[in-house]
Amino acid sequence: MNNERKIRVLIAKVGCDIHERGALTLLTSLRDEGMEVIYTGRYQTPAGVAHAAASEDVDVIALSDHTGSLPIIAESVLAELKKLGAEDIKVMAGGLLTLHDVKDLEKMGVTGNCGPGTPLEVIINHIRGIFV
Amino acid sequence: MDTSEAKVDRMAGHMVRTATQSSIELKPIYNADDIKHLFYEGDMGDPGTYPFTRGLYPEMYRNRLWLKSFIVSYATAEETNQAFRQYIDNGLTDLRLLCDLPTQSGIDPDHPSAWNSMMCGGVATYAINVYEKMLEGLPLGKAVFEFAHAGMSSFLYFYGLLVAVMENKGVDIKKLRGNSINDPIRTKLVYGCPDFPTKVDRRICLDHIEYSVRNTPNWRPIAPNGVDPCQGGMDAIKELGGCLAVASQVMKDLSDRGISIDEYGPMVFALDAESDFFETIAKFRLARKMWAKIAKEQFGAKTKRAMQLKIGIRTSGLSLTSQKPLNNAARVTLQILSCVLGGVNSLDASSIDEAIGLPSLEARIFNLDTQHVITHEANIPLVADPLGGSYYVEWLTSHMEQEVNKYLAEIEARGGVFSCLESGWLNEVMEAGRLKVQREKAEGKRLIVGVNAFREEGEEGPINSAIRDVAYKAPTVAARGEKVAEVRAYKANRDMRRLKPLLKELYRATKEGRNTQRAVIAAAKEGMTIGECVGVIRVGYGINYDPFREIEMPDFVREIVKE
Repeated sequence: MNNERKIRVLIAKVGCDIHERGALTLLTSLRDEGMEVIYTGRYQTPAGVAHAAASEDVDVIALSDHTGSLPIIAESVLAELKKLGAEDIKVMAGGLLTLHDVKDLEKMGVTGNCGPGTPLEVIINHIRGIFV
Repeated sequence: MDTSEAKVDRMAGHMVRTATQSSIELKPIYNADDIKHLFYEGDMGDPGTYPFTRGLYPEMYRNRLWLKSFIVSYATAEETNQAFRQYIDNGLTDLRLLCDLPTQSGIDPDHPSAWNSMMCGGVATYAINVYEKMLEGLPLGKAVFEFAHAGMSSFLYFYGLLVAVMENKGVDIKKLRGNSINDPIRTKLVYGCPDFPTKVDRRICLDHIEYSVRNTPNWRPIAPNGVDPCQGGMDAIKELGGCLAVASQVMKDLSDRGISIDEYGPMVFALDAESDFFETIAKFRLARKMWAKIAKEQFGAKTKRAMQLKIGIRTSGLSLTSQKPLNNAARVTLQILSCVLGGVNSLDASSIDEAIGLPSLEARIFNLDTQHVITHEANIPLVADPLGGSYYVEWLTSHMEQEVNKYLAEIEARGGVFSCLESGWLNEVMEAGRLKVQREKAEGKRLIVGVNAFREEGEEGPINSAIRDVAYKAPTVAARGEKVAEVRAYKANRDMRRLKPLLKELYRATKEGRNTQRAVIAAAKEGMTIGECVGVIRVGYGINYDPFREIEMPDFVREIVKE
């Protein structure tokens, strides 16, 4: 049964970033791939995202942000996950990323960090790769 | 690399499309038969004459080049002020003022939801002290300012700040030049801005316009925005149709307030320069033609000014890629060229590093130099509307007019543009457009160089890596912490005896249906923040003080409401 379980992904936007196209594109693409995907919508808090992820029992949180704040957002979401004892949920990040940001994110254990225009198969392979 | 015969493919890189970016099917060739239904006088006309398809002015760019503008989005007032000075020294006089994303959403930096986006996308311009610092030493009566913010509260509040700063310095506010986007459809359709519900958006949009028409005649207080809906998935037809629908609705609403189109004067649209070269040019030509006809035929405009549409441009941020960012230079250059050939009035080009981070100063200067090369080396702007009379461009302009008219008729049949927003129909249209493009990209029917095609032609070298590395960095946690402390100190040091009655006047004006703009200016002078401005207006409508429902109404606001 467990092997039949679909991969569950929470796409999340934290803070006041208005850019939504990346999140919406990912939402439909991952659904087309047969994954179960929930999108939080914009203007969310780190605690709200962590709670949603834990209560929806997702495997991955995909953070989307185009303000250059992904390391700051990821750090606060990871801290909230820890409070809930949900550190097993993987976190990945997409949006505006400098090389420095990617290094900072990887240090926190956030992998699969994708800039704009990343081919969808790269993102999908990353998510599937987590469960191999 | 394998260069054996088997690897040579003469068809590699062949064309995959027969339609424009907006899916207008094209023939391989156009000739006189395709435009025989057009009349020079009514459909094109010389530049400077109705319907202005070929441009607003008889000699176009020979008399005045397009305004060169940039959205300035640095984190601090000091950096922004320095950038403004550098830009003015480099020939830019059109300053696009932004603020950080929390402020655009209508909250102050000390609000808990501000932290994760604070000082991103612009300065946290929470109150007049920040505006004074940001505009220090600038020629307020000579520069052109544009407000491109997301939330409708921004236009009411930041115009208020600009007027307040000018009045405090003794500069005549009649000299204020520029425009506000102030588009109540785009704010919800694209951004879902939390500051106000749509009915409040619609009212303060008109408050801002009405006050501006009567007090700052050189300010264009609305510029319906097609850029952001287009980036959200609308094609060129729906982008232009949406702008025309918003402008028409606002003109109707203004006539209810006793302002005629002739009193209002010229319209401004903020349009998107997309990658499809000729479609973008046709869109600009058509925009002028359609607004002129609507102004004259539907609103009875009598003056030439009132039939004229000025076009302000933002080039497509969405078209830029983080893969091989050097390619963005080619994209942006072609987009700028389409603007010049399309006869636009102001041009804000995206930067080649914009898909990686906030633009660096060097990348911005590259945009400016591209415009200088187009002007002074390529001699493009010497002749007005150089593509006028082209079989293809005239056919495309005319074909798009029919399509835009169909779209406008559909919006009308659905009860007008606000009903289309509230029913969710506009969102469905935008989503359908987005999914169509996404599907075509996945299927290889739209090729994006370096992304879903031509990826293997060489690894990224030092030039691309350097572009990737210079992008402006978002502010650190420490800088954000300092900002919160600064705001708290500012709030604690205001003279509340002076501020309170002014907040009360804003509350009353909101509640009693009087124009709110003057009350905003007066309270802004005494230190009212953006968060307080939004909160007081919301309370005036009997809704929660905080759009995010995270903080309590401050005690001084509670007292005002009680009295």
